Amino acid sequence: MQDIKRVIEENNGKIVVEHDYFLLVEVSREHVRKLARTLFEAGAYYSTGVGSDERPRNGFFAMYHILNHEESKKYIVLKVEAPEHDLRIPSITPEIEGANWAEREAHDVLGIVFEGHPEPERLILPDDWPEGVYPLRKDFKYNEKVKPVRKEEKFIEREDALVLPLGPFHPTLHEPEYFEIYVDGETIAGARYKGFFIHRGLEKLAEGRLTIHQIPFVAERICGICGYTHMICYCQAVENAIELEVPERAEYIRTLLLEIERIHSHILWFGVVYHLLGFDTGFMHAWRIREKVMDIAEMLTGNRKTYGMSLVGGVRRDIDEDKKEKTLKALREVSQEMKKLFNDVLAMKEILNRIEDVGILPKDRARSIGVVGPVARGSGINTDVRKDHPYAAYKYLDFKVPVYNGCDVLSRYLVRADEIFESIYLIEQVLDQMPGGDIMVERFEVPEFSVGVGATEAPRGEDVHFVITHRGSKVYRWRPRAPTYNNLPSVPVMLEGEHLADAPAIIGSIDPCFSCTDHVTIVDDSTGKILFRGPLEDAIRRLKR
Amino acid sequence: MNAIIAVIVNVIFALLYAPLIDGVERKIKARVQRRKGPPIQQTWYDILKLFKKEEIMPKDATKSIFVSAPFMAFLSVLIAYLFVPTILPGALYFYGDIIVVIYLLAFSSIVLFLGAFSSGNPYAQVGANREMSLAVMEEILLAFIVGSLAVLNRSLMLNRMFPLEIKVSSIILLAFYLVVMYIASARVPFDIAEAEPEIAEGPFIEYSGKYLAMCKYTIFLKRILLTSLFLNFVLPENVLWRTIGYVIGVVIIPVILAMIEAHMGRMRIDQAVRFMKRLSVIGIFAWVISLFGW
Repeated sequence: MQDIKRVIEENNGKIVVEHDYFLLVEVSREHVRKLARTLFEAGAYYSTGVGSDERPRNGFFAMYHILNHEESKKYIVLKVEAPEHDLRIPSITPEIEGANWAEREAHDVLGIVFEGHPEPERLILPDDWPEGVYPLRKDFKYNEKVKPVRKEEKFIEREDALVLPLGPFHPTLHEPEYFEIYVDGETIAGARYKGFFIHRGLEKLAEGRLTIHQIPFVAERICGICGYTHMICYCQAVENAIELEVPERAEYIRTLLLEIERIHSHILWFGVVYHLLGFDTGFMHAWRIREKVMDIAEMLTGNRKTYGMSLVGGVRRDIDEDKKEKTLKALREVSQEMKKLFNDVLAMKEILNRIEDVGILPKDRARSIGVVGPVARGSGINTDVRKDHPYAAYKYLDFKVPVYNGCDVLSRYLVRADEIFESIYLIEQVLDQMPGGDIMVERFEVPEFSVGVGATEAPRGEDVHFVITHRGSKVYRWRPRAPTYNNLPSVPVMLEGEHLADAPAIIGSIDPCFSCTDHVTIVDDSTGKILFRGPLEDAIRRLKR
Repeated sequence: MNAIIAVIVNVIFALLYAPLIDGVERKIKARVQRRKGPPIQQTWYDILKLFKKEEIMPKDATKSIFVSAPFMAFLSVLIAYLFVPTILPGALYFYGDIIVVIYLLAFSSIVLFLGAFSSGNPYAQVGANREMSLAVMEEILLAFIVGSLAVLNRSLMLNRMFPLEIKVSSIILLAFYLVVMYIASARVPFDIAEAEPEIAEGPFIEYSGKYLAMCKYTIFLKRILLTSLFLNFVLPENVLWRTIGYVIGVVIIPVILAMIEAHMGRMRIDQAVRFMKRLSVIGIFAWVISLFGW
């Protein structure tokens, strides 16, 4: 702890806020690169980066680089400022690979130029978005519409290989993401990733028109599988920003639901992987067992998914004795059935042959990309937010963090298998130890411009939310970062040199979660006219007739 | 004359029965997976529905090959039924018909491969490549078996081999034939060419409407053809017993294969080819034994 503070101060960083959870460090533009590298060498990895337009306050733009230093149990937030007339910040991507996407995103949405970035291409904005319009600047209204521009699609041709488009719609992914895979026969010679087709602009919505108490319900809709963890993560970020203590009983209930979410999410993943490997019977059985977990969720929260349960300051529903019994009984059945399924699958040679030594992600590369969750733990990195930055009730509970050193798909598989049983053990402890008392703190003050970082261990890995509060119970800046954001850049590394047949299993092995959306906007390419859902349906129907 | 009537009955039987037994297999698989499953006529409904649907022609396709391939594949399997008896004994026999049957089966694989290639879709090309590596291995193994049987029976006519004499080599060959039959009927773990989650139905990705129906129908017919060939090798000559045995066998064997299929995961193409290379050693062994007339 003292060490890391000394490192920061020796490298010209100024610690402005010292919180139990994070350190807010101000650093000038000249020194950010060296400080970031020193911190990376001291064991921190790049968690995420947040750009912010702070002109209304002090006339500057700010970039927050959030690094996770597990050893000192702290998030280190490096704040770099740049004035509007000289909007340049040195890129730290050459030092830490993992900063790549975060910096490109900050450039897309705010127009901050990162000097020395190796790949300064557009990341999250669509191709037809006009140049020089930055949606997250404060002078851009949340309901403003821009006129799309036509842009030629860049298609990299390769002489030596066949270009195989995996996506934007492909049966492996079930969500719109695009991998351009270059194949030579059956071997993958390289891969390029393009995503963010369904960026919904939640951040702008939250800053523009939601209050602190409404955002949790938007946050949980970031994901259809692990929504609750986003909700908790947001709540924790705000609670950290305003220094709010949550009642102990609420912490236990949060932990219980987070673990239930992890179990159903992991079982879902096993089903998907079995399907990708052609073992549909395993898929059906996994999802049948998962249904019991969904029933528990329904009983505890009133929703099949753990939705609508929390607010800043606590949880909204209590749990009584009768529900405890039912939960434990159902979990025992889940545990037995999953054990049987895992044993059966381990006896299947053809399945193991498909995932062993496939999709290798070496440990050092994993660290520099900053992968999180089971992907990191499958590459021998002992990282788990529940242990490193204890939140909710995890500080009172006993559990193991499974780590495997195979660096392949099998290791990620085994990590998740072990985690299911650890989660069941955690839930038993939670139900056993849960104290009485209140479940919600209802009255609290929200100070202006207070910075907070919240993190949870989502089923897919570390989930980070960054919040700056604003007057009138609003947020000035809210940035959620889902674990897949950190894991996806590792997929091209895993794919290289593998068989094409293994691509789905490799992409699936990070448990990608491309949050999906209901309201499609389709642009008619020839006229540039936007067809919304209604007119689109009409157009399709007219064509059919 | 009798033979011609038998052939007509046999072909009609195969046409009606092949999709139906696929429906049964789907039901069985659903049961293993603890699902209810569709009704057993579902495959028939699917095929009829596909025939009613419009076809979409890919922009980059070589139209003539793309359109004719499914029909040629279908017809070549159908023609093979002229030489392989199904429910009634009796077929068109002539000297060397065994070679014709093997060629027809190979031909159906090749035209489907050409049709896939002509679609211009990269997934179809990958799928076609896989289909071809599998088909080559299958045909080699099948040729091994039939060649050994011909040596054993000193004949190239199929009816001389129905039923096979019980010998060491013929038993090994039949067991071997069952494995090859499983592989050739494109079941998990050998449905590598289609592999829906990987390459999105591979060779069939661009096919729609009646062309897709023809492709699917070809696979169902091929499965029943291979099953019938096996049953012919083992069933007695007596017409009554043969018919009873055939009816039982043609239901039981696909059901067993479907059960096996439900408990498998998909192999990778290189793993499958390696597996088949190992199998061919058994083929050589059986062939050597049959040379000695055991």
